[in-house]
Amino acid sequence: MVALYQVMAIYHFGRRGVCLYGGGYVEQERKTKNWKLKMLEQVVFYIFGAVLVTSAGMVVTVRNPVHAALFLVLAFFCSAAIWLLLQAEFLAIVLVLVYVGAVMVLFLFVVMMLNINLAPLREGFAGFLPVGLFVAALMLTAMGLIVSSDHVLPGLPPAAAQPPIDAANTELLGKTLFTEYLYPFEIAGAILLVAIIAAISLTMRKPAAQRTPKPEKQVVVKRDTRVRLVNMESASPPEKGDSGGLSQRSQGGKQGDNSD
Amino acid sequence: MFEYLFDAIRDGILAPVVAMVAPAGYESYTLYTLETLVKILAILIPLLLSVLYLTYAERRIIGLIQCRIGPNRVGFFGRRVWGLGQPIADAVKLLFKEIIIPTGANKRLFIIAPLLSVAPSLAAWAVVPFDDTLVLADINAGLLYILALTSLAVYGVIIAGWASNSKYAFLGAMRSAAQIVAYEIAMGFALVCVLIAAGSLNLGEIISSQSGSILHWFWLPLLPIFLVYFISGVAETNRAPFDVAEGESEIVAGFHVEYGGMAFSIFFMAEYANMILISVLTAVLFCGGWLSPFQGLPLIGAIPYISEPSILWLLIKTSVFLFLFLWFRATFPRYRYDQIMRLGWKVFLPITIVWIVVIAGMVVARVPPWFS
Amino acid sequence: MLENYLPILIFLVVGLGLGVVLFALGYFLGPHRPDSEKQSPYECGFEAFEDARMQFDVRYYLVAILFIIFDLEIAFFFPWAIALREIGMVGFWAMMLFLAVLVIGFIYEWRKGALEWE
Repeated sequence: MVALYQVMAIYHFGRRGVCLYGGGYVEQERKTKNWKLKMLEQVVFYIFGAVLVTSAGMVVTVRNPVHAALFLVLAFFCSAAIWLLLQAEFLAIVLVLVYVGAVMVLFLFVVMMLNINLAPLREGFAGFLPVGLFVAALMLTAMGLIVSSDHVLPGLPPAAAQPPIDAANTELLGKTLFTEYLYPFEIAGAILLVAIIAAISLTMRKPAAQRTPKPEKQVVVKRDTRVRLVNMESASPPEKGDSGGLSQRSQGGKQGDNSD
Repeated sequence: MFEYLFDAIRDGILAPVVAMVAPAGYESYTLYTLETLVKILAILIPLLLSVLYLTYAERRIIGLIQCRIGPNRVGFFGRRVWGLGQPIADAVKLLFKEIIIPTGANKRLFIIAPLLSVAPSLAAWAVVPFDDTLVLADINAGLLYILALTSLAVYGVIIAGWASNSKYAFLGAMRSAAQIVAYEIAMGFALVCVLIAAGSLNLGEIISSQSGSILHWFWLPLLPIFLVYFISGVAETNRAPFDVAEGESEIVAGFHVEYGGMAFSIFFMAEYANMILISVLTAVLFCGGWLSPFQGLPLIGAIPYISEPSILWLLIKTSVFLFLFLWFRATFPRYRYDQIMRLGWKVFLPITIVWIVVIAGMVVARVPPWFS
Repeated sequence: MLENYLPILIFLVVGLGLGVVLFALGYFLGPHRPDSEKQSPYECGFEAFEDARMQFDVRYYLVAILFIIFDLEIAFFFPWAIALREIGMVGFWAMMLFLAVLVIGFIYEWRKGALEWE
């Protein structure tokens, strides 16, 4: 449902030549491009949109949780491609980097290693139907409002004031983020700190019995602190005859040790 | 030079064919797609040949380092040419081996896993600039794209380990996932340092911002980052001494223990393509890419050709880093798992964070000769 | 944007296709003589016992969560690094503040022993 919503919204913005990046929505001039490229763009959009909606549906319906997680990966990938069509270059690649490359890895870790049996979880599935229908209706209404309204977002600066689209996306984003949106940015930093602390306090069970070797201490160890060589007289003098060779050999070993 | 070649292929071979075959109105699409395919093949075929002969070079070089001979028998037409036929014989042998799919395995994911591991490692090559103009997709966010694609490499490993339904495979997959994840952070911060120094995400612009002389290359102002990046690259590709994911003496072959024949060689191909990619990227980001090391030197810099930028310099630099990969494998014993995690989180991460501050300070203060 | 990224899309398709072709070649050229021993999971000569997908130490999850957080921070660093020459001292000190908060988290993590492995 969320994916469908996203597709509809994005398609709507895209068709009206509105593009999303950085701090706002930017009107885009496409008159210079020939209509063929635009057609190709639409074909690519419909392919990715179809795959996105299908895979989002599969996330909910497939039985195997690992398959569901992988379909979610596919869904993220397709929405990244659709964002690219909207010129949101940086956001699209960061979507792949953060969601596909990091968040979904955690999902897979959890799903694979917990090895959950989902059958008991599915028993009350139909009971959630009214709530689901309500949310679906809500979203449909929101979609309809967006599609039918002329003012997508009121209070936006006029399109002409915006920089041209071909300029480096990331750089513009950086300039906006670190001038206009500085305060929210610092708050994001604080939220990430909270996330670190929360993750550690939730998962660290014990203060981990430390038996880790410390290489930095191991290297500085001197022989003298560990081994002491003592010269000792043997208790009884070695007998001559068959045991002579043995004692000679062991003495030779000792001399070798001392000369090291 | 190369763009003339591609133009000639397009105008001389592709355009007439397209004019005959393609449906009316779609000529430009067909021509564009075919032209892109030709360019992709121009990257892929040399790349796959390099992968093939990198395996040969690995065995020969490690053999020499360990006072052995290495493969020297298989040649062409009854002649042994230093064993140069060996990789081709290996490939043919692997082609005719049985692909076993274990009964307990998840069949679909078992087949998808090698594909997921090879596709990103090849597609990352789309943004690598081989020359001033020779790049398939000259995108603005090139470096970001590379980072995103390398972060996808972990999927092939995890899925292979899980789908095999074998304990060794699962252990290897989990180990390597945690390891890749740890080094990716260090790698990401290292790339941020390069970005601060270059001021652009486009790989071509990163190279041109290093021009001047060998001292203008980023290895000097980013010396610790240079080392961190290359070592993280070795760890990301699961190569020795960080190869606990394969660890043949402990968990046999790790995540691909159940794979045989061509299915195994797809993983193998992905690993070697990644090795070459890391080497190229190190050359591009820290060693001036296609720039000549003799540029700007008093006497030798005046000689034509030798001081000019060329794709040959990039290839030479890449080979040097590839040699380092092999040298590492011949020299270092395998790290213990806790040591690997310690190195990634407790050594590399602090180094990169400190160096971000240093290099950003240098850029803001416009320290010559790099950032003036 | 599309004209820049279309080659990449084609390259991804070609890469996947190469994998599929190689796999199919190996599948059709290689022999198929399955038997139950060959298809059982490899376990160094033992009979395979239990399910291979066992539960893992919670620290693996912790590493994954920390990875997500640091990955997000990296995503913030990228636009800053590009724009640093233009946003000047203000941008520099803004990021230093952000970095300081991050370092506090990192030190906390270190002192708590979240990075220890045995």
